Amino acid sequence: MFKFEDNYGLDITPRIKIPGHLVGEVQSKLAYVDEQIYKAEVDTLGEHIHLDFHQPLEQSELVTIEAKVQRVVEKMVQGTIKPKIVVLENHMDRVTPNNTDPTSELYSLGEIYQEADGIYSLGPMLSRLIDFFEQQFLSLAKFFNATPYRFPTLIPAKYLEQVNYFQAFPHSLTFVTHLREDLDVIDHFAEEASCKEDSLTTDMGSFDKIQTLLSPAVCYHLYFALAGKTLTNESLAATSVSNCFRYESINLDSLERMWNFTMREVIFVGSKDYVLENREIARQEMEPFFEQLGLAYRVETANDPFFIGEFRKQAAFQSAFQLKFEIRASLPFKKSTLAIGSYNYHQDFFGRNLNINLSDGSPVHTGCVAFGLERVAFAFLAQYGIDPNNWPSIVREYVN
Amino acid sequence: MDSNQLINLNQRIQSLLIEALQIPAEQATSDLQFGDLPQWDSMGHMEVMIYLENEFGIEINPETISNLTSFSTIRQYLQDHGHV
Repeated sequence: MFKFEDNYGLDITPRIKIPGHLVGEVQSKLAYVDEQIYKAEVDTLGEHIHLDFHQPLEQSELVTIEAKVQRVVEKMVQGTIKPKIVVLENHMDRVTPNNTDPTSELYSLGEIYQEADGIYSLGPMLSRLIDFFEQQFLSLAKFFNATPYRFPTLIPAKYLEQVNYFQAFPHSLTFVTHLREDLDVIDHFAEEASCKEDSLTTDMGSFDKIQTLLSPAVCYHLYFALAGKTLTNESLAATSVSNCFRYESINLDSLERMWNFTMREVIFVGSKDYVLENREIARQEMEPFFEQLGLAYRVETANDPFFIGEFRKQAAFQSAFQLKFEIRASLPFKKSTLAIGSYNYHQDFFGRNLNINLSDGSPVHTGCVAFGLERVAFAFLAQYGIDPNNWPSIVREYVN
Repeated sequence: MDSNQLINLNQRIQSLLIEALQIPAEQATSDLQFGDLPQWDSMGHMEVMIYLENEFGIEINPETISNLTSFSTIRQYLQDHGHV
C-alpha cells in the first residue's frame, strides 16, 4: 500500500510491521532498493516508510519500488528472532562536556576535507588524535605479544568468494579494475578520458575483468596467508592496521560512516579456548583505558550488517552464539551510539573454509579485536568537543 | 517414551536434518553435530532451527539456537518438551 507525494517521494505502509530491533537495519538496507532513492526513513513504530527520490518518477516506477521495498521487509522481518542483547559493560552514564556535532567545526578548521561521498582527508589535529588511540591499541597488541603484519589494500575476488563474502555483504563491495592491455584502448583513454558529473565517461568495455576488490577487513589477509597450513605453535596473535572499504550508499555520513576507513586489529588464531579467552582478556584490558579517557560507552552483543537475503539467519546466529560484541560510544548530540570497535569470534569458519589446522588436524578457531580509528576519534570529539582544553590530560598532552 | 516412540522421534529428526541441510540419509546420523559437515555451518544451523520450528512448533529463541547444536541435544530437547 502506498501513496504518491508529488512523485519525488513515496510513503509506504509495510505489509508486515517492522519490529523495533530491526527498524535501523531495514532502513539502512532500503538504500539499495533503487538508485533513485536518496533518503529512506522508517518510523520508530515500524509502520511507515518514507522514501525521497532524486527526480520525479513515473507511477509504474513507484509501483516497482514499492514491491521491492515490501520484499526487503518480508525477507528481513518474516520469522525474525528477536536477539537477546547481552551487555558486558555499561558506562553510558559518564558525563562528558560536549553535546554538539563536531563535524561543522572540523570542516571550518580544515581538519576534515571531503573528497567524495565517504572519502575524507584528515588534518593535523585529527591525525595526532588518531595516533594517540593507535598507541593505546598497539599497547594492547604488545600485551598479547602480537606479531606485526602489513596487509595490502587490494584483495583478490577469489579470496572473498572462498569465505562467502559475496553472499553476506554484496552491497558493500568495492571493485577494482584497470584498462585492458590493448594499445588502442589505452591510447583512446589517454586522449578522450574525462569526467561528467564526477564519473568517468569511458566505455566499460575498456576495462579488464574484475579480479580484485578493495579489502573490506584486515584479518582476512592473515587467514589467507595461513590457508592450507598447520599452526605449528598451536596459537598465533597478530596485529595490523589497514585501510578498509565498505560502500554504504546514502548511509555514508561524515566520519561516522566512511567508505574508506582505517582499522587496527589484534587477531587470534588457535583453539576455541585460546581465542575466546583472549577475546575476553582484550576486553578487560581495554576497560581501564576507556575509563581513564572518561568515555561514555557500552559493550554489547551485536551482528554484522548482512545483506537482506542472509540477514535474518546470520544475524540471529551471531547473536545467539555471542560471536560479536560491539563497543558503542555515546554520541550525545544525536542521543545515540556509534560502534567504535568490536570483539569478534568466528568459530572455526575460516579454519574450515581455508583449511587452517591445529596439529591434531582440527580446524583452527579465529577471532579479532577491531577498532575503527576515525570513528574512535569522532566519538571522542563528539563527547569532548574540539577544544583540547576540555580534553582529558592524557589526550591533551599527547596531541600537544 | 517407549522404543517405538523413540524410533519415530529419531526418524523425524533425521528427516528434518536431511531436508534442512540437504544431505544424504547416511550422513544424518545420531552423533551428528554442528560443524561436522560443511552443510551444518551457521546458515545450515539456522535452516535446522527453522525446520524444527515448523515440524515441532518449537519457539526459536537465542537460547534454543545456541543449545540445539547436535542430533542428541535436539532429541533431548524434544523429549523434555513432550514432543514424541
